[in-house]
Amino acid sequence: METMGAVADIGDLVFPGVETMVREESRQEEKVEREDRSTVGRPFVDDARMTCRDVNVYYGEKHAIRNVSIDVGRNEVLAMIGPSGCGKSTFLRCLNRMNDTVDSCRVFGDIQLDSLNIYDKSVDVVPLRAQVGMVFQKPNPFPKSIYDNVAYGPKIHGLASSRTDLDGMVESSLKKAGLWKEVSDRLDQPGTGLSGGQQQRLCIARAIAVRPEVILMDEPCSALDPIATATVEGLIAELQEQFTIVIVTHNMQQAARVSQRTAYFHLGDLIEVGSTDRVFTNPRHRLTEDYITGRFG
Amino acid sequence: MLKKGLVFVAAASIAVSAVSSAYAASGRDYISVVGSSTVYPFATTVAEQFGKTTKFKTPKIESTGSGGGMKLFCTGSGIDTPDITNASRRIKYSEYEKCQNNGVKKITEVKIGYDGIVMANSKEEAQVTFTKKDIFLALAKDVPDPKGSEKLVANPYKTWKEVNPSLPDTKIEVLGPPPTSGTRDAFVELAMEGGCKQIGWIKALKKKDKKYFKSVCHTVREDGAYIEAGENDNLIVQKLTANPKAFGIFGFSFLDQNGDKIQGSIVGGVSPTFENIAAGKYPVSRPLYFYVKNSHVGVVPGMAEFLNEFTSEKAWGEDGYLSDKGLIPMPEAERKQFAADVKGLKALVLTK
Amino acid sequence: MQSRKKETSMDKMNIGLAKRYRKERRFRLFGLAAVFASITFLGILFVSIAANGWTAFQQTEILLDVHFDTAEFDVDNLYSVNYGALVKNSMRSLFPEVKGRSDKRDLYRLMSSGAVYILQDMVMKDSGIIGSTQQIWLPADDEVDMLMKGHISRDVTEGDRRLNDKQISWVDTLVAEKRLEKKFNTTFFTAGDSREPELAGIRGAAVGSLFTLAVTLLLSFPIGVATAVYLEEFAPRNKWTDLVEVNINNLAAVPSIVFGLLGLAVFLNIFGMPRSAPLVGGLVLTLMTLPTIIIASRAALKSVPPSIREAALGVGASKMQAITHHILPLALPGMLTGTIIGMAQALGETAPLLMIGMVAFIVDVPGSVTDPSTVLPVQIYLWADSPERAFVERTSAAIMVLLAFLISMNAIAVFLRRKFERRW
Repeated sequence: METMGAVADIGDLVFPGVETMVREESRQEEKVEREDRSTVGRPFVDDARMTCRDVNVYYGEKHAIRNVSIDVGRNEVLAMIGPSGCGKSTFLRCLNRMNDTVDSCRVFGDIQLDSLNIYDKSVDVVPLRAQVGMVFQKPNPFPKSIYDNVAYGPKIHGLASSRTDLDGMVESSLKKAGLWKEVSDRLDQPGTGLSGGQQQRLCIARAIAVRPEVILMDEPCSALDPIATATVEGLIAELQEQFTIVIVTHNMQQAARVSQRTAYFHLGDLIEVGSTDRVFTNPRHRLTEDYITGRFG
Repeated sequence: MLKKGLVFVAAASIAVSAVSSAYAASGRDYISVVGSSTVYPFATTVAEQFGKTTKFKTPKIESTGSGGGMKLFCTGSGIDTPDITNASRRIKYSEYEKCQNNGVKKITEVKIGYDGIVMANSKEEAQVTFTKKDIFLALAKDVPDPKGSEKLVANPYKTWKEVNPSLPDTKIEVLGPPPTSGTRDAFVELAMEGGCKQIGWIKALKKKDKKYFKSVCHTVREDGAYIEAGENDNLIVQKLTANPKAFGIFGFSFLDQNGDKIQGSIVGGVSPTFENIAAGKYPVSRPLYFYVKNSHVGVVPGMAEFLNEFTSEKAWGEDGYLSDKGLIPMPEAERKQFAADVKGLKALVLTK
Repeated sequence: MQSRKKETSMDKMNIGLAKRYRKERRFRLFGLAAVFASITFLGILFVSIAANGWTAFQQTEILLDVHFDTAEFDVDNLYSVNYGALVKNSMRSLFPEVKGRSDKRDLYRLMSSGAVYILQDMVMKDSGIIGSTQQIWLPADDEVDMLMKGHISRDVTEGDRRLNDKQISWVDTLVAEKRLEKKFNTTFFTAGDSREPELAGIRGAAVGSLFTLAVTLLLSFPIGVATAVYLEEFAPRNKWTDLVEVNINNLAAVPSIVFGLLGLAVFLNIFGMPRSAPLVGGLVLTLMTLPTIIIASRAALKSVPPSIREAALGVGASKMQAITHHILPLALPGMLTGTIIGMAQALGETAPLLMIGMVAFIVDVPGSVTDPSTVLPVQIYLWADSPERAFVERTSAAIMVLLAFLISMNAIAVFLRRKFERRW
């Protein structure tokens, strides 16, 4: 609820008024210039769950991510923002090696989850993806029943010892995803028959059913209407108590509402990282400022 | 599913190899016959009769064409090669040689009877009398200049009357088999070449340039007057009833079966009846044969009995069941001689 | 000013609108005409085949009082009994006035030559009937059958008919005595091929087709699907896979006879498999249908939305699990459609089977995939080429059986598709 409270304060800043323009001009000397692409702010935290160092990603010849170093803290919500094509989604997909499925994609650098390099040859992506779950831009439930959607992960990983155990997992996951009340009487109905917002929450329930440590969310609300969006945002705030969440969004208000830290990407570079409050109220980099004040993006 | 598939493929290939080795080891318990589609109706009749009246299995008869049959027959003497091949012409020296080279040394030749090739039209029109020369002039690609000089011109005749004033004044329209057919070969050789030879200066060519002579006499016109109607003779019969002005070329058995709808034209003064063909009077008739692989007699069960059935009087005799199917029987003396050849498995010797 | 301008642009638009609607109507009309034309042609085809073929489902039979005379059975071997004499005696007892050798022969000819074997089978099954007299419906000769069905005209002169005046009068007598009737032609569905139309049946070819298609399906479906899955999901995109893809697409367009030649060279000559066997036919047709199935299966796999793949991988499914649990079930209806199209093609093939010896006269109904056999389209081809008139209607009847095969195959495909689709 704290985060929700912060929304009002920051909201004013995101819509640049005359006052903000004046304030910016007065601070102009302090800003890092546009040409400088080194990361400003505090990308590292003390109690990191994931650490990324000098990550470079190439799609064929294209250099999509350049020298990105950042930490993801324990039980925090890290928002990644930036204009389209800035590499935020690409970077997100590096965190659970979803990029492996793209033939032309090559990843260099060091990404660690709890001090283990996930790109190490000895690491199996299957348990990795169980530890680092993912929610996608478009709700993509399996064309199966609601129950099967949620039970699928525990089933393939052998998490449930019995049918009742599995039932319990499905129920608790659906409850955590705030969907239980709506669907408890029709678990055998197809998941694809739900509304868009319900589908996305079903996908979240599916992701948390395997008890991941980190949940990656790739613009989870971009296909949803404002009411469904608000529900999912509330859900994120609740999930934060148990999970570490990295969320990519192009909606700056959303980033401000749900996250504690914000990272701004620009054309493959990580420009600025800092606490969400600080980044939105006092961006240190000219590019960050341009973006959050709506000069481009 | 992928796994299952792989397992299945493995199992299937094992099964396949097991089957093929078992087959090679145990041999065959049925007679395998290949060859001409003209002989097919007769061979099958005998085979069926044989299968029903003996304890042996019904022989398997493939319709591969004379040439295709010879090729299969002469691949070798193994049990996986055919025992008998049917032919609507005599074995060629080249085929005989191939047989010899592949270890098929002893072959018995059996002539089973004759097949007449008829030109027929619908009963709605009058019966027509052709000479072989008429046929040649109407159907050849190049014919002697009608003005009289000794040179060939592209066939100018459009109606039968132009060919011969005694013929009807209708468009030349002949439905016949395609070049791949044995019936066509026989027709060209017997009717067209026969007519061709009646023209003195072309006949003289034969001595000078045999190849050229053949190409002149054997080439059928391609300007639409001769219509290739496919290998299906039934289709030709149907087309004749639909188009009474047209003529068709096919085997005698089809005329025999459709005597209420079509009539055979008189060729060279003889009408194509059973009696005339049997007596050797009708000029466009050809002998039919089958060839036996002697080494398989006694190895494949029922061979001797099958040969016996085929060459029995009740099959190929004057009133035999094959004559019901349209086979024209040989004279009695010839039948006796070939029956004796089969009994003694007299090996064929061909020289170049 | 402004309102007038607005009006004119609306007017212009309205004129154009009318034109656009006219175009749309025309387009729809063309489409409708095309559909109508194809339905008409299909209708003509079906009607003409059915009109020609339905009579083949009836067969003229003659009721005979056959006396299984004990004297005739006074031999060691039941095979060597002169069953023909039994038939002839019964015929003579019906027409005692017929004298003279050639007249008797004409009389006997009313009966099918297969009647003899029916009696033989009866005795073989139950030797107890020896000595008794039985009333038995036996098939009439195909000429009599053709007369009864109106395919032989009584108006033409006697010499041009396959039946003479006497034979026709005997037939009329039998009809009057209710001893000659058209009955349902069970032989057509229970017998193998025969040179006598009245004894010929479709069963041998139908069973042969069934065996051949079973081999084809069992081999081509798993291989085709496995190939498609590998190419679509596992294979890297490089020159080699491009080459494989181009080759598969080429193979789909290769004339089917080429596969027959390949089958002859590989399966018969190298592996030494039996000629004329459904096993080899199935193998050859597998080669022929594989490209179709692979192409259809790949298209089906491609059409599975990538989001499903990502969802599965996202919860930690392995690639294999993502494919077998999610992608294959979704692609299955498309794969089945492709397979059925391939199977339907295979069902109608004759050319490649010629090379491996399945264009053959085979009387015995095959009992296994290694027995010599033929298939439905080959049977149609062989009958269409037979001189006997009674085979004309049997050809059409065989085509009807083939069509029934096709329709039931498609029905099964639709059923399976529905079933797999409903699971979601």
